[in-house]
Amino acid sequence: MMLLAFNSFLVAMLSVPVVTVISRRWTKARALPAALLMGSLVIGTAVAAVGFWRGQRFQVDICQVASFSFALSLDRLSAFFLLLICSVSLPVILFSSSYIPRHYSGARRHWLWVLLPLFLTSMVLVVTASTPFAFLFGWELMTLFSAGLIVIDGDSEQRRHNIFIYLVMMHAGAAAVIGAFLLFLPHASNFAQMRASAALMSPLLRTAVFLLAFAGFGTKAGIVPLHLWLPRAHPIAPSPVSALMSGVMLKTAVYGLVRFAFDFLGSGPSWWGYLVLFAGAVSGLLGVLYAIGEHDLKRLLAYHSVENIGIIYLGLGSALMFTANHSSVWAALALTAALLHCLNHAIFKSLLFLGAGAISDAAHTLDLEELGGLQKRMPLTGTVFLIACCSIVGLPLFNGFVSEWLTFRSFLAGSEMTNLSAAIVLPLAAGVLALIGGLAAACFAKVYGVGFLGRPRSGEAGRANEVSLPMQAGMGALATACVVIGIFPGLVLRSLGALTEELLPGAALPPAATSLTVVLPWIALFVLVLVGGFAGFKRAKKLTATWACGLPGLDERMQYTSTAFSKPLRRVFSRAYRAERTLEVVPGDPPYFPVSISYRSVRTTSFEKFLYRPGVDAIVTAALRLRRLQTGNIQIYLLYIFAALIALLMFMRWA
Amino acid sequence: MTLMTNVLQVLLLILLAPLVRGVISRIKARIQNRRGASVWRPYTDVLKLFRKQDLVPASASFVFRLAPMVVFTTTLVVAAFVPLLHGSALLGVTGDFVLLVYLLALGRFFLMLGAMDGGSSFGGMGASREALVSTLAEAPFLLALMSVAIAAHTASIAGMVQWTMGQNFFQFSAVHALAFAALVLVAIAETGRIPVDNPTTHLELTMIHEAMVLEYSGPSLALIEWASAIKLTVVMALLIALFVPWGMASSVSALALGVASLVMLLKIAALVLALALVECSVAKLRMYLVPDFLGVASALAILAVVFTALMR
Repeated sequence: MMLLAFNSFLVAMLSVPVVTVISRRWTKARALPAALLMGSLVIGTAVAAVGFWRGQRFQVDICQVASFSFALSLDRLSAFFLLLICSVSLPVILFSSSYIPRHYSGARRHWLWVLLPLFLTSMVLVVTASTPFAFLFGWELMTLFSAGLIVIDGDSEQRRHNIFIYLVMMHAGAAAVIGAFLLFLPHASNFAQMRASAALMSPLLRTAVFLLAFAGFGTKAGIVPLHLWLPRAHPIAPSPVSALMSGVMLKTAVYGLVRFAFDFLGSGPSWWGYLVLFAGAVSGLLGVLYAIGEHDLKRLLAYHSVENIGIIYLGLGSALMFTANHSSVWAALALTAALLHCLNHAIFKSLLFLGAGAISDAAHTLDLEELGGLQKRMPLTGTVFLIACCSIVGLPLFNGFVSEWLTFRSFLAGSEMTNLSAAIVLPLAAGVLALIGGLAAACFAKVYGVGFLGRPRSGEAGRANEVSLPMQAGMGALATACVVIGIFPGLVLRSLGALTEELLPGAALPPAATSLTVVLPWIALFVLVLVGGFAGFKRAKKLTATWACGLPGLDERMQYTSTAFSKPLRRVFSRAYRAERTLEVVPGDPPYFPVSISYRSVRTTSFEKFLYRPGVDAIVTAALRLRRLQTGNIQIYLLYIFAALIALLMFMRWA
Repeated sequence: MTLMTNVLQVLLLILLAPLVRGVISRIKARIQNRRGASVWRPYTDVLKLFRKQDLVPASASFVFRLAPMVVFTTTLVVAAFVPLLHGSALLGVTGDFVLLVYLLALGRFFLMLGAMDGGSSFGGMGASREALVSTLAEAPFLLALMSVAIAAHTASIAGMVQWTMGQNFFQFSAVHALAFAALVLVAIAETGRIPVDNPTTHLELTMIHEAMVLEYSGPSLALIEWASAIKLTVVMALLIALFVPWGMASSVSALALGVASLVMLLKIAALVLALALVECSVAKLRMYLVPDFLGVASALAILAVVFTALMR
């Protein structure tokens, strides 16, 4: 039954592009691709939900030729990520069903409906693959289809450059992933065999596998300093695609790392844990600091993806440290925290990007300095955006808090470890997480406060109107999920506990994890009753003008801007930014009244300058040197062949 | 009976909070050679504001009026976390320190949003400054509580208090002095007292909290004022409960609770006096020195965690 449903899900997904192409001239069938895609995603969600909650497994063999064997299977881990992909894409597609026709016409619209289902299918392949070939097949397609989706939005010189960086970094990452798989050869052609052979590997080889997987998946996940592509590629895609890339695609990288580190390798030395924890802390802090400095909404959100991947890595790192110290119960807690944060981030980040799409649809700009007052003009979009902001900040009663709380609890449990340095490092990591949380709160107070509250800062923002119904419905569904998981986390926690028990044998979720599920609904009820009571007890309200110290002429330009809001924090953390400022003053006559003053502040991340630039330069120099071999002279080439032959013969003789 | 005591604790915290504020300003006035207002003044202020009209800027959205309610409600929930008279609280067992810190953050987040909804530059200015202070205060707050949690082997506030009550006062770990010092500094920042923020100023160069609530009036302002009074008292009660809980009732009987209330009143009075003295003898810090102030708090909290883990 499950198998049949899964196969029909795959077939339905793949049929969407075909239907789009066939029905492209038929104007009555405009909504057909979206409807078909949503229908197939419903099937996918159902399959994944049964697989996740009931733990049913199955396997689909597609090709059994050795070394190209292609098989898909569903275990609890795959089912969890499949559920994440399908259930989050469903509202995103609902949103797109109205967003795409409004913004794209003709061939570009058809291309979107052809590439979107293919992109989703490739992600499904990645998380359900049970052979290296199937995994890598999906992994590569995922990169290419997402790059294709970005190209649809236009291809100026700047965009091409960004897409180029995206593709180069993705392929470097894929090379590392392929390397990690190759180290399992020649004995392992599917995941089950890899699991068995990993146990027999030498420690050195296991470390090599882990490091390759860490680097390869880290590139896709966007951990600092491998995040360079993320703030370039995510903001320039169409908003629903950004939602899928940030919300969903990044999680396939986390899936890969969990599959390698916890499923194949099982456990390792504790420095693996330190490495992941450190990467998480650096990504979390720098991600949120860079986000605070942005005022382009989508770039800001892209940096927040770096931050949230950092939080997920903090959980994963602490889980690895616990497994290294043989306390698998607490490892289960930390792993649950990381996986739940994957789901939560998928929900609220997609919602935020859809919100950004709604803003650009209504106000035609994503520059926070030009927005303001949108809450009154777009009540539903504003409210769901507020819910998403509260969730990403990790405030109680919203879903982000639950996973951050679990991470904090695992850090506290770290102090019980016998290994002294781990018992000190893990509790201190809580301080880092708290700082990240505080900075995120500042950043989203800025985003929501400047974007949606106060008075409109531009005519466009003042004329914005609420978006169409399907767009509202898509965002509303995601916002509901944020609140439901935030108040009743028990709904997912139990099954996640079963999942971690599968990965870490004998590790049931500790009872400490359940105290939150008891107290949150009560707090929610109390808050609801009290706030409802206050709101019901309506005192006379009088509309007035904003207090302007008794002077006339307070206008919207006098409000705090996004740049002004973040100034104190940027000043305190100025080391992280290294802004290059230039001030040009053209003096007038007399010189005290300059004719013009221009001020420019450019923040080049130091990674570009100090880490990537020398590497790129070295590669280019090496390539130029190598070019000297290519003289174009046929005699020289004959000489090369002769030399190669001699070398081979000598190799055969002595090897 | 235990449940009733727990409810009573919350009610005491809520109802006595304005008095604590009144006493502080009265003592400060006396130190500064002024007569000062009556200690009941905060009560009459709140009552007066509740009877007034709510003035709302025409450009503001529902967030403007929602924010004070959220601030007040979250502060009430936090009040239910803290043991006052005996080693338990309404939410003290299931409610842990992470939830406590983040509930306060929830209220603050909405207050910042409410401030920005007013549409004047003061609101944004206050919110921006509050963002700086609260961001830097969160990590030391959490770490200081964490060090006590590590020592007590529990995350729940009531559990920590019961553990401390079981310790001998004279052998009490020196590590706690570090955590206590860190929490005191954080508490000053968190409740917006001198030297981080001055609750009596209305000068735009210096105000933080007052700039955020400048646009509020009537019942909304009453909720905010009352909530900040409760917050001050709750933070004091938290400091007492975590570090000097001795004297709390070990059994729930009328006599024990009576004695415990007296002891608690004395402790709070001592803290109030100390706060008033500090506020009269220290000047407010320049805003860009506040990060240094909180940096000291962070360093103390980090040391507290490291030493607790070492001495475990």
